Amino acid sequence: MKFIVSSSSLLKHLQQISGVINANTVLPILEDFLFDITDKKLNIVATDLETVMRVQMDVESQENSRVCIPAKILIDSLKNIPDQPLTFSIDKNFAVEITSDNGKYKVMGENPDNFPKEPVADDTNSFTMTSRALITAINKTLFAVSSDDLRPAMTGVYFELNKDAIQFVATDAHRLVRYRRTDVHCPNQDSFIVPKKPLNLLRNALPDNDDEITISYNSNHLFVMHGTTQLTCRLIDARFPDYKVVIPQDNPYKLVVNKNDFQGALRRINVFSNKSTNQVALNISGSELKLAAQDVDFSFEGHERMNCNYNGEDLQIAFNAKFLIEMLSAADDDEVRVELSTPTKAGILKPTEQEEGEDLLMLVMPLMLNS
Amino acid sequence: MVLSSARHITHMDLDTFFVSVECLRNPKLKGKPVLIGGMSDRGVVASCSYEARKFGIHSGMAMKIAKRLCSHAHVVKSDYEAYSKYSRLVTDVIKDSVPLYEKASIDEFYIDLTGMDKFFGCLKYSDELKKKIVKESGLSISYALASNKLVSKVATNEVKPNGQLEIPFGNEKTFLSPLSIMKIPGIGKETGYRLLKMGVETVKTLSEIPVNMLYNLLGKWGIELHRKANGIDETPVIPYREQKSIGTEETFTTDTIDVKLLHQELVRMTEKIAFELRSQEKLTGCVVVKIRYSDFQTEQKQMTIDYTAFDDILIQKVKELFTGLYTKRQLIRLIGVRFTDLISGTHQIDMFNDSQEAIKLHQAMDSIKKQFGQQYLMRASACMDNKNITHAPKPYKT
Repeated sequence: MKFIVSSSSLLKHLQQISGVINANTVLPILEDFLFDITDKKLNIVATDLETVMRVQMDVESQENSRVCIPAKILIDSLKNIPDQPLTFSIDKNFAVEITSDNGKYKVMGENPDNFPKEPVADDTNSFTMTSRALITAINKTLFAVSSDDLRPAMTGVYFELNKDAIQFVATDAHRLVRYRRTDVHCPNQDSFIVPKKPLNLLRNALPDNDDEITISYNSNHLFVMHGTTQLTCRLIDARFPDYKVVIPQDNPYKLVVNKNDFQGALRRINVFSNKSTNQVALNISGSELKLAAQDVDFSFEGHERMNCNYNGEDLQIAFNAKFLIEMLSAADDDEVRVELSTPTKAGILKPTEQEEGEDLLMLVMPLMLNS
Repeated sequence: MVLSSARHITHMDLDTFFVSVECLRNPKLKGKPVLIGGMSDRGVVASCSYEARKFGIHSGMAMKIAKRLCSHAHVVKSDYEAYSKYSRLVTDVIKDSVPLYEKASIDEFYIDLTGMDKFFGCLKYSDELKKKIVKESGLSISYALASNKLVSKVATNEVKPNGQLEIPFGNEKTFLSPLSIMKIPGIGKETGYRLLKMGVETVKTLSEIPVNMLYNLLGKWGIELHRKANGIDETPVIPYREQKSIGTEETFTTDTIDVKLLHQELVRMTEKIAFELRSQEKLTGCVVVKIRYSDFQTEQKQMTIDYTAFDDILIQKVKELFTGLYTKRQLIRLIGVRFTDLISGTHQIDMFNDSQEAIKLHQAMDSIKKQFGQQYLMRASACMDNKNITHAPKPYKT
């Protein structure tokens, strides 16, 4: 069996999906790409058993055939081959020979029948959204996802579908992000949790434009389709915590600050904070916001003051500066509004102005100040 | 060897430290046999005066036996708070006077005076420091100056009490040679016995044994021992560091398998050290539970957790660890709880697990404890009336 393909185009397609493959796998075949040629269409598949990615491209080939080729060596070689047509020939023992203008390379492939089967998309519901909308949603939520395997429900982004909106929620129990879009319409009211890894892969594989993508799901899997590129992943089988009850409805004190100034001050102050807690104390009174951090172990200390717009009682409250910095990055506006109540209750962070059809709410729990 | 030729290390050791402190607090004890340690039947002697040592008493001996050996000795209950207070006082004096020091224990210090010889003369400087410590604290201290930690420590032990000595560079071997091998730190009962059986009694003999032979006998430790016997020790003086863990343990008056009692005790100990943790504005990232069975078999188990100082979380983790650890249905002699991986900071509130009520309760409890002392407020589950525990808090009775 034989096929001819452009080296640069093949590399481009492989790199789109190569992120699925883990460095250390249990099954050796998971280090391979599956090449599947049907009617001059080459489908390439990569999987880690949880997430499957598939891309399609055109090739020159007389017959239909399948083979598994080790991923790392294939990508490494393609990176160093100048753009040209490559001829792949595979014998019955799945030995792969690649012929270029420069020479011949041989790798040992594997039997494609041993490659894990993709989950079948049956019993699915579907909706569509633009590629850019999905990327934005991922960018605004993924950073808040927990990495604590003991609470699996929080290790992914919670998708909450509705007739007239979609909500993306991520939390690690210390902070929470809720991003809502009203320009997406889903036929059913449903919810599921998507793990971190496939979302990260989507963020890199999808284009930042208005291409329409189709998202389907059933009780176990999520299927995302963009043209001929497809990602399938297993959903997290756990119950997402009841996040609605922890969002305070009536935080009375409002603090409005310039986003870049606030973020800059936090970044500078955070250098002097304790490296494990990143604790920064905010002291708000009148129109002045004081920031202070210290690391007693090394006798580091940082203090700053900045102007703000605040209506409320004088308040001292401590937060993890890293959380605040990350949240501020997710807010697009020049100014942010922080809604506070007492030093032990959640603070809410919102951009002062939101795009039409979008709603972003971020919540952060304070660090307890010893009285 | 270039390094060690240039080093000047003083080892300072407070003479019968606990006894000296007790004598300061009660001058009547001076010149009398004094025993310090636990008062109960199972207590041991933590320290004893030179007068008591004449009767064959040594630290580590059971209090019962010590009292039998010297019935007229004054027995004083150990008060570690007072001892650490005096220890800090001495540490402060040393800290103010020298560039680099290591606090090896509550009453021992290594001071690196390397380079000071050009200015003051190390011996003169050590001597002045000694006088300063005696003047400031009223405690007697001995020191020895040598070219490494090992020799200075051995020399200090030789000149105690209230002595001083300098072992000039090059004379380490001459100094160590006539001494008994038991004087070398690290040679305990077991190694000592094995060596004595071979006829090795003095350090001189030990230093002449080929290193291969010692390796065959004692493994890697044999190589180190060979170096020690030859007066070679390159370990540096490590500056005093803050405590990296905090813990407590309890030996029961009689061994027990009462799981309810053990749980109560765990809750009490956890509450106690968690409060201490919060008082120091620290958080722990690792919990360790230890149990010792009646046959002295000791086992421990630890668990990494998110940094916290919250009682509820810590008590839960401690109980989990204990349940995983105690599977033998055997009498327990001792249990202990320890928090390691300490960092400074305060608790990050969890939005799902920490309710506002729990936070408020915590804050209220801590402020009461701070004002009146932590022994007056505790969880009911930690409160018990049991003779099996020496320090058990007693429920209030009218």
